[in-house]
Amino acid sequence: MMGFYAMQLECLLAILAITTLLTDAFCPMTDKRRLGYVLAGLVTITLVYSFGLVPIHESLFHGLCRVDVFALFFKRLFLAVTALALVASAEFSERLETGVAEFYALFLFAATGMLLTASANDFVLLFVSLELVTVTFYVLTGFLRRQAASLEAGTKYLIIGALASGFTVYGIAYIFGTTGTTNFDALAAVLKRGNPGAAFTLGMLFVLAGLAFKISSVPAQIWTPDVYQGAPTPVTAFLATGSKAAGMALVMRVCLAGLLPVREQWMTLWLVLSAVTLLYGNLCAIPQRNIKRLLGYSSIGHAGYLLMGLAAANALGAEATLFYLGQYVFTNLCAFLVVIAVTHVTANDEISSFAGLGRRSPLLGLSLFLAMMSLAGVPPLSGFFGKFQLFAAVIERAQTDWHYYLLAGVGAAGVVISLYFYLNVGRVIYLQEAEETTPIPVRPAMQWALWSCLAAMIGLGIFSRPMVEAAQNAARMIVWR
Amino acid sequence: MENLLIITVLFPLIAAAAVFLLPAGRPRWIRGLAVGATGGSLLLTLVMFSQFDRSNAGYQFVGGFAWLPSLNIRLRFGVDGISMTLLLLVGFVSFAGALISHEIHERQKEYYILFLALTTGISGTFASMDLFFFYFFYELAVIPMYLLIGMYGSLPPGRHGRTKEYATMKLTLYLTAGAVLALIGLLTMYYAGGRTFDMVELRENLRLAGNAQKWVFACLLFGFGFLASLFPFHTWSPLGYAAAPTAASMMHAGVLKKLGAYGILRLALPMMPEGARHWADLLATLACFNILYAGWAALTQQDWKFVIGYSSVSHMGYVLLGMATLNVIGISGAVLLMFAHGVMAALTFSLIGWFYHQTHNRNVTELSGLARKIPFIGGCMVMAAMASSGLPGFANFVSEIMVFLGAWQQGSTLFRVATVCAVWGIVVTATYLLRAVRTSFFGPLDEKWKMLTDAVTLWQRLPYAMLIAVLLAVGFHPRLLTDIIRQSVAAMWGGQ
Repeated sequence: MMGFYAMQLECLLAILAITTLLTDAFCPMTDKRRLGYVLAGLVTITLVYSFGLVPIHESLFHGLCRVDVFALFFKRLFLAVTALALVASAEFSERLETGVAEFYALFLFAATGMLLTASANDFVLLFVSLELVTVTFYVLTGFLRRQAASLEAGTKYLIIGALASGFTVYGIAYIFGTTGTTNFDALAAVLKRGNPGAAFTLGMLFVLAGLAFKISSVPAQIWTPDVYQGAPTPVTAFLATGSKAAGMALVMRVCLAGLLPVREQWMTLWLVLSAVTLLYGNLCAIPQRNIKRLLGYSSIGHAGYLLMGLAAANALGAEATLFYLGQYVFTNLCAFLVVIAVTHVTANDEISSFAGLGRRSPLLGLSLFLAMMSLAGVPPLSGFFGKFQLFAAVIERAQTDWHYYLLAGVGAAGVVISLYFYLNVGRVIYLQEAEETTPIPVRPAMQWALWSCLAAMIGLGIFSRPMVEAAQNAARMIVWR
Repeated sequence: MENLLIITVLFPLIAAAAVFLLPAGRPRWIRGLAVGATGGSLLLTLVMFSQFDRSNAGYQFVGGFAWLPSLNIRLRFGVDGISMTLLLLVGFVSFAGALISHEIHERQKEYYILFLALTTGISGTFASMDLFFFYFFYELAVIPMYLLIGMYGSLPPGRHGRTKEYATMKLTLYLTAGAVLALIGLLTMYYAGGRTFDMVELRENLRLAGNAQKWVFACLLFGFGFLASLFPFHTWSPLGYAAAPTAASMMHAGVLKKLGAYGILRLALPMMPEGARHWADLLATLACFNILYAGWAALTQQDWKFVIGYSSVSHMGYVLLGMATLNVIGISGAVLLMFAHGVMAALTFSLIGWFYHQTHNRNVTELSGLARKIPFIGGCMVMAAMASSGLPGFANFVSEIMVFLGAWQQGSTLFRVATVCAVWGIVVTATYLLRAVRTSFFGPLDEKWKMLTDAVTLWQRLPYAMLIAVLLAVGFHPRLLTDIIRQSVAAMWGGQ
């Protein structure tokens, strides 16, 4: 019974996904858009319901999974992201030729996988949940079968994803071989007695490199811009928020629970990778002309910021990473929602086609501008406080290890560089005159979604306390258990 | 009483929210609300100034609440003699800026929202007693400035071939680069001071070894120095002012720039005295470059706004020199100069705005004889030029004398030389200003400028008259401000 209680959210989503598929088979929907809204509503109800769940402190299914505060934090986040992503795909559904119900169902299956990753307490569940998310996305990225870009994105994602999965499994084998366990708790107990040797370190590197693919950090970042650009925009939005957060949940769980005793080793790794990722993402974003591609490089840059908190490996760092993720998904979804609404009219995702957006639709213009500013870390938006905490965590670690000042310096440079390209988008929105001045209509559901993202961005920036405390509780559960 | 300061600071922001809700088709309401809010804020500041306890050197009107206990962040406002002076400056300049903004005819709603947000950002920074919110408000001011310049600015094609987009982007990136550099220093102070962002507690608890002080001080000095247009990080400044709409130039040259100097003064100097002594000589040298190099650059400019832009960089040199002296009179002089220069720069930019709006030309040599058509504006410009050149009777004179005294008193050869440079800088200032005023305002009236109209109504004259009155009042009765400034500077710095 405990097992069902723990897995009820995943079960609900899976049932919802299967029902969606069946509905399509038995009574073909005439209005596919409405189905998306209904599903988004149902997921929102699930989200509200999830706040009634209480965390369980023991591990379940023989140590396979945990439904602690950390897991619930992520599950709620994933549910919120899924609801918004479903609104996005409903808005997009008119551009799909066939299989709209399958499109929604795949979103729900991916969401099920994401919820599972939040609970993973064992390399076996880690791999299974990871594959559930990744395989669904293989299909979703290539969903627009007649468009070469979408197919190319799907193929690229498949090849590099398969490679990353291979690395992960190979690494897990090494870890199992040297420590005799795949369970994170047991692993931590073994590692407390010392590092079992080079083979173990190699295994750890392989696993982390495989996970780096999910969060699009260096060295597995190369797929990101192409896939972001080619995939259907709602899929890109889901990939950039849900899938990235799922990857981050796994990285945090692996590093801060299982591999905590050997943190000296992975701290250096993340320190270097974080700095390189920051520079790569932000510098490569400068020349971009396509908004989705720009957001792809921006996503790489943000992987660097997220890893800053992990590299600091202190309580504040873990909390800051969680807070950052929590606000980042809303900010990013806001940007993608605007892209969907605008491209619906202009059928063009070049940044230049956003010229004069502030006049064509004040709401869309404001939303995209604020999203860009939040990504850049400008107060009073949530991105500012997120970055502030990450820097605070890094500087705290720098009090004992001065190398972290270098990371803070790279992060600071990243902020300045990123402000340049985010402001360039802002410049197009407000400073440039539109060639086409027809207003862009925004449907009510889209307005709701945008307003909730804006509320999250501004709310988390000014009244950050509830989210900070939730993140603290979540971080405390895994780090200092 | 405790809430007076919070209301003063947040008043413009609340007004910005109200403007957001007003329909864009009601420009008169919007404008009235903005003028009312900045005017109300100025009134409240004056009330605070009248109730200010002149015998108390510490923080007054302290109020606030815990914002995030886990990081020990509190939204806490308070003013001492230094920040009181600068809040007065914000009050006068923002009110004058709102008044002269009648020249904006397009997208007024956005304009006033941005202007009011900018005002709150600046006054919030001066009033914050908490490092986090100091930084928060400081950053809050940057993006409205970007949009104000980008959306409403203008940059006549010059030999640089730069656009206003370039100018505003450069300005924003410089300011942000400085801000993040300072942030690293501020966070180090947070940990070294026992995890507190409170400025009073930090001053007591901050324990930094001599070597660490040098590094952290450098972060703050150069980080805030970007904003204070410290040579050689000043290049964004004249370009940005030239491109900005009048009110944004006024706010930027008048007050926003002072935030940088205020940051050094409030955070770096008193908390890291060893670091200050280590960098003082370099700061004084760079300040001389500010004074002379920017003064020399102003001599060669043809565009009125570039002349005043370089002039403002040059004047910031005096402020920085005053701070480098590390003695009470020098630092007090720097604070008073921030006030005096702020009012003077706002006055000059608003006057340029008056004729530029009508002529669409601000080339010094192409304008001539303007004083015949616009005697009031011309007269004000002559006053502003006299104030800027440090003539007795204006606040600038008092503050510059204090800086010179402080620098001479400091005693080392370097500072003696710096004093001589600074005094020479006044001659340079007088040269370029008198040249510009003589060429544009006197001499034969060009046919092209026959259509100019003068400021005649009370509302049109009010901003200029108010700013001149402030300069004269402080010039004739400097103790109005110097008493409270010196006392707070002495309490902050005197013990060391």
